[in-house]
Amino acid sequence: MSVFDITSASVSLPERFSTYRQRIKTFTNISGMGLRLGTRFMMEAPRKYPWLKTLLTADTLFDMSTRARRGPYRQASAWALSEVIASITDMLEGVFGNPEKTVMHEDLVPPEILTAMGLNPWMAELLGIMGPLIRSDFAEEYIDAAENEGTPPDVCSLPKATMGLVLKGQMPHPKAILTSNMPCDGGMSSYTLMEKRLNVPCFRLDVPYNFYDDRSAEYFAKELFRAVDWLEEHTPGRMDWDRLREVCTLRNRATEFQMEVWDLLREKPAPMAGEPLYLGHMIFQVAMPGREKSVRYFETLLAHAKKIRAAGGALPDERYRIALWNPPTLIYPELFAWAEQRYNAVMLMDMISYNRHPYIDTKSPETMMRDLARIIMAGPMARHTRGPQENFFSDLFELCERFSMDMIWMAGHIGCKNTMALSGMFREKCRERGVPLLIINYDLSDTRVVSPAEVRKQAEAFMETVMKAGAPVDSEAKAS
Amino acid sequence: MKQPIVLDRVFEEMVESPVNVMVDRALESGRKVIGYTCTYVPEPLLNVGPLFGVRLRAPGVRGTPMADTYLSNVICSYTRSLLELALEGAFDTLNGWVFAASCDHMRRLYDNLDYLQPPEFIHILDVPHKKTPAAVAWMAEELSMLAAKLSERFEVSVDGEGLRDSIARYNQYLAVMRELAELRKRDQPPISGTQFMTVMTAASSAPKDLVVPGLQKLLAALQDAPGIDDYRARLVLAGSQCDDPGYTKVIESVGGLVVADRTCIGSIPGLAAVEEGGDPFEILARRSLTNISCPRMMEEFDGRVAEIVEAVRDYKADGVVLQTMKFCDTWGVEASPMVTELRKAGIPVLRLEREYALSSEGQLSTRVQAFLESMGK
Repeated sequence: MSVFDITSASVSLPERFSTYRQRIKTFTNISGMGLRLGTRFMMEAPRKYPWLKTLLTADTLFDMSTRARRGPYRQASAWALSEVIASITDMLEGVFGNPEKTVMHEDLVPPEILTAMGLNPWMAELLGIMGPLIRSDFAEEYIDAAENEGTPPDVCSLPKATMGLVLKGQMPHPKAILTSNMPCDGGMSSYTLMEKRLNVPCFRLDVPYNFYDDRSAEYFAKELFRAVDWLEEHTPGRMDWDRLREVCTLRNRATEFQMEVWDLLREKPAPMAGEPLYLGHMIFQVAMPGREKSVRYFETLLAHAKKIRAAGGALPDERYRIALWNPPTLIYPELFAWAEQRYNAVMLMDMISYNRHPYIDTKSPETMMRDLARIIMAGPMARHTRGPQENFFSDLFELCERFSMDMIWMAGHIGCKNTMALSGMFREKCRERGVPLLIINYDLSDTRVVSPAEVRKQAEAFMETVMKAGAPVDSEAKAS
Repeated sequence: MKQPIVLDRVFEEMVESPVNVMVDRALESGRKVIGYTCTYVPEPLLNVGPLFGVRLRAPGVRGTPMADTYLSNVICSYTRSLLELALEGAFDTLNGWVFAASCDHMRRLYDNLDYLQPPEFIHILDVPHKKTPAAVAWMAEELSMLAAKLSERFEVSVDGEGLRDSIARYNQYLAVMRELAELRKRDQPPISGTQFMTVMTAASSAPKDLVVPGLQKLLAALQDAPGIDDYRARLVLAGSQCDDPGYTKVIESVGGLVVADRTCIGSIPGLAAVEEGGDPFEILARRSLTNISCPRMMEEFDGRVAEIVEAVRDYKADGVVLQTMKFCDTWGVEASPMVTELRKAGIPVLRLEREYALSSEGQLSTRVQAFLESMGK
C-alpha cells in the first residue's frame, strides 16, 4: 500500500519509533500553543482562523518526508520537519499573543530588523506556503476569494492565497505592514488590497533592478534606515543596534554551518537532500533568521549530514542529482521523496535556497544595514525573478556545476510571469550546455490547474524518455 | 455620433504603421531614431541632436506565435506584440531601443529582445518605485548614465544645454496637445475621443518637430468648429497601455463620448509641461517619478484614485471605463480596490479586461451599452 505513490521503506523498529517521537513532539507543540495562549484563544481561534485546523494536522508531513527514507536520513528528515513546524508555532504564538508588536511583512524584507526592534515578524506569505504543503488544496478557497473580489485568475496564486486570507478575515491582524516591490508585480500589488482591508499603516521598500553594485546596496540600505524610522513612528518597536548586532552575528553563524552543509552536498552520494535543505532554509534563513534556533538548526543539520555521510549517503545508490528551479512544488511536496525512491534521484538545491550568502559586517549600523540589503537583493527570488535574466541563468548553471547536477527540473508555475517569460531562452540555453531540462507545467498552489498526479506523470515521462531512467530502481523498498 | 471635422488622413496612416511615414522622412534626412516602450522613459532625453525618440507600438500584429515561444502566452500582449513585430523585422529601421524596468513584462521583453535580436543600441533604465528625494536622485543618475551612453554611441552631446533646448521644444509639442485636450472639456467638444486618440497616438510615435505643424493646423480648425452634441454620456478612459483608437471607436459607436484618457499614452498626466531651467536630469527624473499613474508606483494608490476622480470632475464625465490589459499584474490586482474606491466616490465604473490588439468588438460594445444604460443614459 502506498501513500502518494511512495512505498514504505523497510525500516527497523527504533527508526520507526524515532519518527513517531518527532510526530508526537510536533503535535504536542502545536496543541501546546493553544494552551499557552489561554482558554479564550482556544474558544475563538478555530472559528476565527480555520486554517489552524490544517496546521494541527501538520504531522502528516512526516508521511511525505520519512516514508521512503531509511536510517539517519530518515531521522534527519523527521527532525527537520519537527523543527520547522515548531518554529512556525513559535512565530504564530508571538503573532497571536502580542498583535500590538506584530508586523506583517512580505517574504523579501529583512525580518532581522524587526527582531532587533523587539517586534514580531509575521511573514504574510507563510500560510500560503505551508498550507498546501500540509494539504494540497489548502489555498484554493483563498484563491477563489481573491478572484471573486476581482483579482484576475492569471495572477500568481501565492499572493492570491494571501489576499484571500485577508479578504476572508482570517489573517491575524498586525500593527503595521512592511513590504517591498519584490518578488513580482503581483506580489507587490497585492499589498495595496491588503493594506486597505486590514486598515493598518504600510511601508514599502524599494529595491533597485540592477542590484549587483554598491550604488544599489547603498540605495536600498537607506531605504532600510527609512523603514526603521517609520516603524519607530508607527509601532512600539525601537531599534536596538546592539541587538541587531547579535541578530546579525547569529545569522552569520547559521550561514557558516549552512555553507559547510553545502560543501558536503558536493560529495556523491550526497549526505542530505530534500526538505531538510529547502524547508529548513525557508524557515530559518528567510522567515526567522538571526535566532539561536536558526543557528542550532543548521548546526544540527550539519551533524546529521556527517552522520548520513558516514552511513553511506542519503541514498547510497544515488543515481541522479536534480537542481530544482523556481520555488518547490507546494501542492506536491512528495515529488522529491517519490523521485528518490523511484529513480534514486536526489533534489539537492533549489532557487529559494540557492542564494549568495554574504556575511554581515557587524562593525556599525551602516555596515549591518548595507549587508542586510545585499542579502535581500541577492536573496531567494529577488535576484532571479526581479533582476536581469543573467542572474537567473548564471546562478542556475553555477549551481549545476558546483553540485554536479544531472538535470534541471523547472517548477514551471503558470502564475510566475517572470520565469514563464524566460521559457524559450531556458530551453535553448540548456540545450547549448547539454543539460537535460524538465519544465513542469503546473500551478504553485492550485491543484485544479494541474493535479499532483499529473505533475508526477510529467516527471515520469521525462525521466523515462529523456533520462532513459527505466524501471523503478528501489526494488527493496518496492518489495516491502 | 456625428464628428464635426474630418481628420487629416496622415494621422490615421501614422497610427496604422509600427514605424510611420514621419519617422521615415526624418531618417531620410540623416536623423536617427530611438524607440522606447514605456512612459517612464523621458522622451526629451532622446530628442537631442540628430536623435529623436518615438514610442513603440505594434499596430497590425496578427497573432504572436514567435513571441509566445519565448515570452510564453501569459505575458501581456503589448510586449508580445512588440517582440513579434521585432522578430518580423518591423523595427529594423530603429537605431536603438530604450526600456524602463517598469514591470515584469517590460523587463523580460528587454531580456528576450537582447537575446534574440540584439539591437544596435539597447538600454534599460532602472526606475524606482517611489518618488522620494533619494529615488529622484537615483533616477537622475540613471538618466545621466543613459545620456553618456547615447553620447558615446551616437557621437552627440546629450548634456545640459542640449537637453534644456530639447525640453523647451518638447514643451511646444505638449502645449499644442494640451490645448487640443482642453477642447474636450467643452459641453459639446469639437473633437471625438477616437479622433483625439488617433492624433495623440500618431504624435507619440513621431518626431515631434515634424508633427507639431499638423497639430497646430488641427487646433486652429477646431477652435470654431461645431461641437458633438449627440452623445449619451461622457466617459473617462482609464487604465493601462491602450494605443488603438479602435477601442475608443467601439465605445463611441454606442454613444459613450470619451472626453479624457488617463492611460499610458493618454492626455492625463502625460501632457503636463516639463519644468524648464535647473538641472535637466533632475527635472526629467522628478517628472517621471511624480507620474504616479501606473500602479508600478508603490504608495500612490490614493493618488491614482484622486487623479481619476479629478478627471471626472474636470471633464464633466458621467463614468469611467477602467480598461486593463490581460496578464498585467499591477493593473489586474489594483483594479479591484480601485473600482471599490471610485464607486465609493459615486462614480459609475465599467471594468474591462482586454488584449492589446482590438478584438471582440461586439462584446465590447454590448458591455459599454449596458454600462450606459445602467447609468440611465
